[in-house]
Amino acid sequence: MAFNILIVDDSPAMRRVVRRVVDLSGVEVGKYLEAGDGRQALDVLRAEWVDLIMTDINMPEMDGEELLLAVRQDAMLSSIPVLVVSTDQSETRIKQMMSFGADGYISKPFMPERLSEEMQRLLGGVPNESF
Amino acid sequence: MKASDFTVLVPDCCSDVLEAMYFTSVLEVTREDAFPERGGTEGMPSFQAEYAFSLNFRGDVSGRFGLSLSGPAARCLASNFLGEEDSNLSIHEVGEVIGELANMLCGSVASRIEGERKFVLSHPEPIALLPDVRTEDVLISKFDTDSGLITTRIVVEGTTCNR
Repeated sequence: MAFNILIVDDSPAMRRVVRRVVDLSGVEVGKYLEAGDGRQALDVLRAEWVDLIMTDINMPEMDGEELLLAVRQDAMLSSIPVLVVSTDQSETRIKQMMSFGADGYISKPFMPERLSEEMQRLLGGVPNESF
Repeated sequence: MKASDFTVLVPDCCSDVLEAMYFTSVLEVTREDAFPERGGTEGMPSFQAEYAFSLNFRGDVSGRFGLSLSGPAARCLASNFLGEEDSNLSIHEVGEVIGELANMLCGSVASRIEGERKFVLSHPEPIALLPDVRTEDVLISKFDTDSGLITTRIVVEGTTCNR
Protein backbone atom coordinates (compact mmCIF):
# COMPACT_ATOMS: atom_id res chain seq x y z
CA MET A 1 0.00 0.00 0.00
CA ALA A 2 1.34 3.41 -0.91
CA PHE A 3 0.88 6.29 1.53
CA ASN A 4 0.49 9.97 0.86
CA ILE A 5 2.61 11.96 3.29
CA LEU A 6 2.29 15.67 4.01
CA ILE A 7 5.45 17.35 5.32
CA VAL A 8 4.84 20.76 6.89
CA ASP A 9 7.90 22.87 7.70
CA ASP A 10 8.94 26.39 6.79
CA SER A 11 12.46 25.13 6.08
CA PRO A 12 12.79 23.63 2.58
CA ALA A 13 16.02 21.98 3.73
CA MET A 14 14.26 20.22 6.59
CA ARG A 15 11.42 19.09 4.31
CA ARG A 16 14.07 17.61 2.03
CA VAL A 17 15.75 15.76 4.90
CA VAL A 18 12.45 14.36 6.14
CA ARG A 19 11.68 13.14 2.64
CA ARG A 20 15.05 11.45 2.51
CA VAL A 21 14.42 9.69 5.81
CA VAL A 22 11.03 8.53 4.53
CA ASP A 23 12.67 7.26 1.34
CA LEU A 24 15.21 5.28 3.37
CA SER A 25 12.57 3.89 5.71
CA GLY A 26 11.21 1.54 3.10
CA VAL A 27 7.67 2.93 3.37
CA GLU A 28 6.01 2.95 -0.01
CA VAL A 29 5.06 6.53 -0.75
CA GLY A 30 2.33 7.33 -3.21
CA LYS A 31 2.77 11.05 -3.11
CA TYR A 32 4.87 13.51 -1.17
CA LEU A 33 3.00 16.68 -0.36
CA GLU A 34 4.68 19.71 1.15
CA ALA A 35 3.60 22.92 2.86
CA GLY A 36 5.53 25.83 4.35
CA ASP A 37 3.03 26.59 7.12
CA GLY A 38 -0.26 25.47 8.60
CA ARG A 39 -2.43 27.46 6.23
CA GLN A 40 -0.80 25.94 3.16
CA ALA A 41 -1.14 22.53 4.82
CA LEU A 42 -4.89 22.96 5.26
CA ASP A 43 -5.18 23.89 1.58
CA VAL A 44 -3.37 20.68 0.66
CA LEU A 45 -5.51 18.62 3.05
CA ARG A 46 -8.69 19.92 1.43
CA ALA A 47 -7.45 18.96 -2.03
CA GLU A 48 -5.55 15.70 -1.50
CA TRP A 49 -5.90 12.41 0.36
CA VAL A 50 -3.27 12.36 3.12
CA ASP A 51 -2.32 9.34 5.27
CA LEU A 52 0.16 11.06 7.60
CA ILE A 53 0.97 14.65 8.54
CA MET A 54 4.47 15.45 9.77
CA THR A 55 4.56 19.01 11.06
CA ASP A 56 6.92 21.50 12.64
CA ILE A 57 5.55 23.89 15.29
CA ASN A 58 7.26 27.26 14.75
CA MET A 59 6.09 28.49 11.38
CA PRO A 60 4.81 31.77 9.93
CA GLU A 61 1.12 32.45 9.19
CA MET A 62 -0.31 29.39 10.96
CA ASP A 63 1.92 27.39 13.30
CA GLY A 64 1.89 23.66 13.99
CA GLU A 65 -0.23 24.00 17.10
CA GLU A 66 -2.97 25.83 15.21
CA LEU A 67 -2.75 23.30 12.39
CA LEU A 68 -3.11 20.40 14.80
CA LEU A 69 -6.17 21.97 16.44
CA ALA A 70 -7.72 22.72 13.05
CA VAL A 71 -7.21 19.15 11.87
CA ARG A 72 -8.65 17.65 15.04
CA GLN A 73 -11.69 19.92 14.85
CA ASP A 74 -12.43 19.06 11.23
CA ALA A 75 -14.59 15.95 10.94
CA MET A 76 -13.13 15.11 7.53
CA LEU A 77 -9.53 15.36 8.68
CA SER A 78 -9.59 14.43 12.34
CA SER A 79 -8.57 10.80 11.88
CA ILE A 80 -5.30 11.59 10.07
CA PRO A 81 -2.28 10.76 12.25
CA VAL A 82 -0.16 13.81 13.10
CA LEU A 83 3.51 13.48 13.96
CA VAL A 84 5.08 16.66 15.36
CA VAL A 85 8.72 17.25 14.41
CA SER A 86 10.02 20.29 16.27
CA THR A 87 13.09 21.92 17.74
CA ASP A 88 11.10 22.47 20.93
CA GLN A 89 12.26 19.74 23.30
CA SER A 90 10.51 21.10 26.39
CA GLU A 91 8.30 18.71 28.31
CA THR A 92 5.63 21.41 28.58
CA ARG A 93 5.32 21.67 24.82
CA ILE A 94 5.40 17.92 24.22
CA LYS A 95 2.63 17.31 26.77
CA GLN A 96 0.58 20.13 25.34
CA MET A 97 0.81 18.92 21.75
CA MET A 98 -0.06 15.38 22.77
CA SER A 99 -3.05 16.69 24.74
CA PHE A 100 -4.17 18.57 21.63
CA GLY A 101 -4.26 15.29 19.73
CA ALA A 102 -0.79 14.72 18.28
CA ASP A 103 -0.06 11.04 17.74
CA GLY A 104 3.69 11.35 18.13
CA TYR A 105 6.41 13.89 18.86
CA ILE A 106 9.98 13.93 17.61
CA SER A 107 12.45 16.57 18.77
CA LYS A 108 14.97 18.07 16.37
CA PRO A 109 17.75 17.13 16.19
CA PHE A 110 16.56 13.61 15.60
CA MET A 111 18.22 10.39 14.65
CA PRO A 112 16.81 9.22 11.30
CA GLU A 113 15.99 5.82 12.84
CA ARG A 114 13.76 7.47 15.43
CA LEU A 115 11.75 9.38 12.86
CA SER A 116 11.46 6.29 10.72
CA GLU A 117 10.21 4.19 13.64
CA GLU A 118 7.57 6.72 14.60
CA MET A 119 6.39 7.03 11.04
CA GLN A 120 6.15 3.25 10.69
CA ARG A 121 4.22 3.03 13.94
CA LEU A 122 1.70 5.63 12.87
CA LEU A 123 1.22 4.08 9.46
CA GLY A 124 0.97 0.62 10.98
CA GLY A 125 3.72 -0.52 8.67
CA VAL A 126 6.41 -3.14 8.83
CA PRO A 127 9.55 -2.59 10.94
CA ASN A 128 12.21 -0.60 9.16
CA GLU A 129 15.01 -2.67 7.63
CA SER A 130 16.87 0.05 5.77
CA PHE A 131 18.81 1.52 8.68
CA MET B 1 19.60 34.85 33.53
CA LYS B 2 22.80 36.09 31.94
CA ALA B 3 24.46 35.13 28.69
CA SER B 4 27.35 33.59 30.63
CA ASP B 5 24.85 31.08 32.06
CA PHE B 6 24.80 29.53 28.59
CA THR B 7 28.50 28.69 28.67
CA VAL B 8 27.90 24.94 29.08
CA LEU B 9 24.48 24.74 27.43
CA VAL B 10 25.47 26.14 24.04
CA PRO B 11 28.34 23.66 23.45
CA ASP B 12 26.16 20.77 24.60
CA CYS B 13 23.39 21.72 22.19
CA CYS B 14 25.83 22.40 19.38
CA SER B 15 27.40 18.97 19.76
CA ASP B 16 24.01 17.25 19.84
CA VAL B 17 22.71 19.01 16.75
CA LEU B 18 25.89 18.70 14.70
CA GLU B 19 26.42 15.04 15.51
CA ALA B 20 22.82 13.92 15.02
CA MET B 21 21.93 15.74 11.85
CA TYR B 22 25.11 17.10 10.29
CA PHE B 23 27.36 14.10 11.03
CA THR B 24 29.98 16.49 12.33
CA SER B 25 31.99 16.33 15.55
CA VAL B 26 33.00 19.27 17.69
CA LEU B 27 36.75 19.05 18.27
CA GLU B 28 37.28 22.12 20.44
CA VAL B 29 35.17 24.86 21.97
CA THR B 30 36.48 28.27 22.87
CA ARG B 31 34.56 31.05 24.53
CA GLU B 32 35.52 34.33 22.97
CA ASP B 33 35.88 37.32 25.19
CA ALA B 34 33.49 40.04 24.08
CA PHE B 35 36.09 42.53 25.23
CA PRO B 36 39.24 41.90 23.21
CA GLU B 37 41.21 44.34 25.30
CA ARG B 38 40.99 41.81 28.12
CA GLY B 39 42.51 39.14 25.91
CA GLY B 40 40.86 37.71 22.83
CA THR B 41 40.89 34.32 21.21
CA GLU B 42 44.57 33.72 20.75
CA GLY B 43 45.40 30.54 18.98
CA MET B 44 42.00 30.11 17.35
CA PRO B 45 41.99 29.98 13.58
CA SER B 46 40.52 33.00 11.88
CA PHE B 47 38.22 32.80 8.88
CA GLN B 48 36.12 34.90 6.59
CA ALA B 49 32.47 34.36 7.45
CA GLU B 50 30.38 33.88 4.32
CA TYR B 51 27.18 32.61 5.90
CA ALA B 52 25.61 34.31 8.91
CA PHE B 53 22.07 33.94 10.26
CA SER B 54 20.25 35.47 13.19
CA LEU B 55 16.95 34.80 14.91
CA ASN B 56 15.12 35.92 18.03
CA PHE B 57 13.79 33.77 20.82
CA ARG B 58 10.96 34.90 23.09
CA GLY B 59 9.82 33.23 26.30
CA ASP B 60 10.81 33.27 29.95
CA VAL B 61 14.20 34.25 28.62
CA SER B 62 14.37 36.35 25.46
CA GLY B 63 17.20 37.36 23.22
CA ARG B 64 18.98 36.84 19.92
CA PHE B 65 20.95 33.94 18.55
CA GLY B 66 23.47 34.27 15.75
CA LEU B 67 25.58 31.86 13.79
CA SER B 68 28.36 32.41 11.28
CA LEU B 69 30.74 30.21 9.37
CA SER B 70 32.93 30.10 6.31
CA GLY B 71 31.76 29.04 2.86
CA PRO B 72 33.67 25.71 2.87
CA ALA B 73 32.36 24.83 6.33
CA ALA B 74 28.80 25.71 5.26
CA ARG B 75 29.04 23.61 2.11
CA CYS B 76 30.44 20.66 4.06
CA LEU B 77 27.61 20.84 6.61
CA ALA B 78 24.99 21.23 3.89
CA SER B 79 26.39 18.24 2.04
CA ASN B 80 26.23 16.11 5.19
CA PHE B 81 22.75 17.32 6.10
CA LEU B 82 21.19 16.72 2.69
CA GLY B 83 23.27 13.69 1.78
CA GLU B 84 24.38 15.20 -1.50
CA GLU B 85 27.69 16.17 -3.07
CA ASP B 86 28.52 19.75 -2.18
CA SER B 87 29.31 20.49 -5.82
CA ASN B 88 25.63 19.85 -6.60
CA LEU B 89 24.39 22.40 -4.06
CA SER B 90 23.57 26.00 -4.88
CA ILE B 91 24.39 28.94 -2.63
CA HIS B 92 20.66 29.18 -1.91
CA GLU B 93 20.44 25.54 -0.83
CA VAL B 94 23.48 25.87 1.40
CA GLY B 95 21.93 28.99 2.94
CA GLU B 96 18.71 27.12 3.70
CA VAL B 97 20.62 24.39 5.48
CA ILE B 98 22.61 26.86 7.57
CA GLY B 99 19.42 28.75 8.43
CA GLU B 100 17.95 25.47 9.65
CA LEU B 101 21.12 24.83 11.67
CA ALA B 102 20.66 28.21 13.38
CA ASN B 103 17.00 27.34 14.03
CA MET B 104 17.82 23.94 15.52
CA LEU B 105 20.64 25.28 17.68
CA CYS B 106 18.55 28.13 19.03
CA GLY B 107 15.55 25.87 19.58
CA SER B 108 17.68 23.31 21.33
CA VAL B 109 19.13 25.95 23.67
CA ALA B 110 15.76 27.62 24.33
CA SER B 111 14.09 24.27 25.06
CA ARG B 112 16.57 23.51 27.77
CA ILE B 113 16.32 26.82 29.57
CA GLU B 114 12.58 27.21 29.52
CA GLY B 115 10.38 26.24 32.43
CA GLU B 116 6.63 26.32 32.26
CA ARG B 117 6.11 28.71 29.42
CA LYS B 118 6.42 28.07 25.72
CA PHE B 119 8.97 29.92 23.68
CA VAL B 120 8.71 31.27 20.17
CA LEU B 121 11.48 31.50 17.61
CA SER B 122 11.53 33.93 14.72
CA HIS B 123 12.44 32.75 11.24
CA PRO B 124 16.25 32.66 10.77
CA GLU B 125 17.28 35.59 8.63
CA PRO B 126 20.52 35.84 6.69
CA ILE B 127 22.64 38.77 7.82
CA ALA B 128 25.80 40.27 6.38
CA LEU B 129 27.83 39.60 9.52
CA LEU B 130 27.14 38.93 13.15
CA PRO B 131 26.68 42.31 14.82
CA ASP B 132 29.68 43.59 16.66
CA VAL B 133 28.07 43.35 20.06
CA ARG B 134 30.09 44.67 22.95
CA THR B 135 27.85 44.35 25.96
CA GLU B 136 28.18 42.41 29.18
CA ASP B 137 25.38 40.11 28.18
CA VAL B 138 26.74 38.33 25.14
CA LEU B 139 28.29 34.89 24.89
CA ILE B 140 30.43 34.20 21.86
CA SER B 141 31.49 30.60 21.32
CA LYS B 142 33.77 29.23 18.64
CA PHE B 143 33.49 25.60 17.64
CA ASP B 144 36.31 23.94 15.82
CA THR B 145 34.60 21.03 14.06
CA ASP B 146 35.64 18.49 11.49
CA SER B 147 33.61 20.52 8.98
CA GLY B 148 35.29 23.82 9.86
CA LEU B 149 34.97 26.67 12.31
CA ILE B 150 31.53 27.78 13.53
CA THR B 151 30.86 30.86 15.65
CA THR B 152 27.71 31.31 17.71
CA ARG B 153 26.62 34.42 19.55
CA ILE B 154 23.84 34.57 22.09
CA VAL B 155 22.55 37.83 23.52
CA VAL B 156 20.13 37.87 26.45
CA GLU B 157 17.74 40.80 26.27
CA GLY B 158 15.28 39.98 29.04
CA THR B 159 14.32 37.47 31.68
CA THR B 160 10.87 37.18 33.21
CA CYS B 161 11.62 34.34 35.56
CA ASN B 162 13.93 33.91 38.53
CA ARG B 163 16.78 31.66 37.51
